[in-house]
This record gives sequence, C-alpha cells and structure tokens, in this order.
Amino acid sequence: MQYWDDLSVGTNFQTGSTTIDASAIVEYATDFDPQPYHLDAAVAEKSIFGGHCASGWQVCALMMRLFVDTLRREGIPSAGSTGVESLRWYIPVFANDTLHATIDVTDLRRNAVHKDHGEMHCEITVLNQLDARVIKLNTCMLIPCKPEGDSHV
Amino acid sequence: MSDIEHVYRSRWFEDIPVGEFHVFGNHTFGEKEIIDFGVAYDPQPMHTDIDAARDDLHLGLVASGWHICAVWMRLMVTYMERYATGVRDGRRNGAGIGFQNMQWLKPVRPGHNLTYTYEIIEKPDKVIKERWGIIRSRNEAYNQYGELVFSFEIDILAERRPASEAAKF
Repeated sequence: MQYWDDLSVGTNFQTGSTTIDASAIVEYATDFDPQPYHLDAAVAEKSIFGGHCASGWQVCALMMRLFVDTLRREGIPSAGSTGVESLRWYIPVFANDTLHATIDVTDLRRNAVHKDHGEMHCEITVLNQLDARVIKLNTCMLIPCKPEGDSHV
Repeated sequence: MSDIEHVYRSRWFEDIPVGEFHVFGNHTFGEKEIIDFGVAYDPQPMHTDIDAARDDLHLGLVASGWHICAVWMRLMVTYMERYATGVRDGRRNGAGIGFQNMQWLKPVRPGHNLTYTYEIIEKPDKVIKERWGIIRSRNEAYNQYGELVFSFEIDILAERRPASEAAKF
C-alpha cells in the first residue's frame, strides 16, 4: 500500500485497456445522452462525427474506470476527486475502439481542509488503439497521508 | 408551437446572447443508480458500498462526479430538444469541445435533488471549420438546501448562420 507521502512528482502510470462496443455506447446514451449520433449508426454516419460514437461523458467515465483500476493495482487508496481543472475532447470514440490512458503525476500538495489527505494532481491522456489522443485532462485526487507514528516504509 | 418556441428553435450561433440564463432541469439521485454507476465506471468504495462509504471523509454513500455530469447531459438533451431545430436528425447538434474549472463542491447523496442551471458567459471570437462558433456557458447545480454542489464552464459548438439565411432578428 502507498500513502500520499510515498508518491513522487514525475511518476507515470500506464493504465490497462478497455474496448467499447456498439451496445455499450447505446446503453449509456439511452440513459444519459440520447442524441442520434450515439443511438443510431445510420444517422451517425451523416453527423458531425461521421460515425457511431460514444458520448463524450461516457469517455470521461471510462477514463475514470481505467484510472481507478490503476490506482488499485498500484496499491494507492483513493478518496475521491475535488474537480477537473480542464478537459479537452479531441476525436470521437467509435464502436469497437480500444482505449488506454497514460497518467503523469504533476504535483503533490497537502489539502487545506482534509489534514489527513494530500492532493495528487495528474495529467491524464486517453489514447485509442492507433495511439491517437482522444481526451486530455488535468485533475486532482485525494490520497490518505501516512498516519502519524506509522512505522511502515 | 408558441411564438417564443419558434424563435428558440430557429436560432443560429449569432442569435444566442451572452447573459442568457436557463434553469434547465432537476433530478433526484437514487441509491441504486448511484451504486450502479459507481460499479460500472467509478468503483471507489464511497460510490459502491454503503458500509465502506461511512469513513471519516465521506460519511456515507456519495454519487460519482461523473454521474453528476451524466445527469447534466441527460437533462440538457431533454431541454435542448425543445429548443433546437434539427436535433432529431443530428444536423444542428454541436459537439462539446472541452470544459474547465469543474468542481464537485458538496457530496450528492441518495435522495438529494439537484437543480441544474446554465448561463451563456462568452462567445469566443473563433470560427471552427467555417461552420461553427463556440458558446461558453457556466453550469451549476444546487441541492435541495440551496447549496451550490457542482459547477463548470463548457465550450460547445453552435452552427453559424449560413450566408444564404437572412437574419431573423
């Protein structure tokens, strides 16, 4: 297990990957983003995106899943996020695309409110199977600090 | 269709004024939907496990921030369908290109009801692919206690009026 104190600026994490199929795109879109280019492949061909693609918010959610699974793999217990400084959608995610992400730790700060947690600031880039950049964001996670008197090294 | 609906439905980028403010929807977050979303997309204990969520920081189950975003989108789509021409065929739908300053300020718990608002704050002087302009809006959500719980600014493309279309206003 790693506490906030064990983390280093400049560390890079590579996430696993996830493939999104047409039914997963339609399922999310039906619940949250029922626009034609997410629901109907034929209509989507003629849309601004040029094909059946996932909601941009589903891409964000998939990024979060890759991120959370990676923190778990690394033994870093996360306690949530306070927000996202900025996010950019570059290209659509089409049915059967495979996504992975690269995570850079850009800053580590104590949290003003939660004294027993620190902030891990990250720049995250999600890429598709062609290594084309899909989204990029800057976000911050709260990570527990080492308890006082803990001899764990 | 009323006159006012007709005006909204025929709007191009040029017709959308900075300062326009909308209260566009509200949603009550249920325990099951919070857990379902968390299990699928954000499996941290405070989103997926009622008992584990009772830690000193979270004090119980809270909705994923990306769930709060997803509901924002759902309410926005429903609202825009009433106002934008061509939504059903996707022709006039503008894509979001990015957002900034997203803040999850207060926990959203089972039973909480959020009211979502947006205000047009800027129309950056930029033309995308000779067809689209950028509408920047500040979006907020308030809980049933009137507390601001969520805010961000998003840039969305809006179709510019083609030269062939005369100004209506």
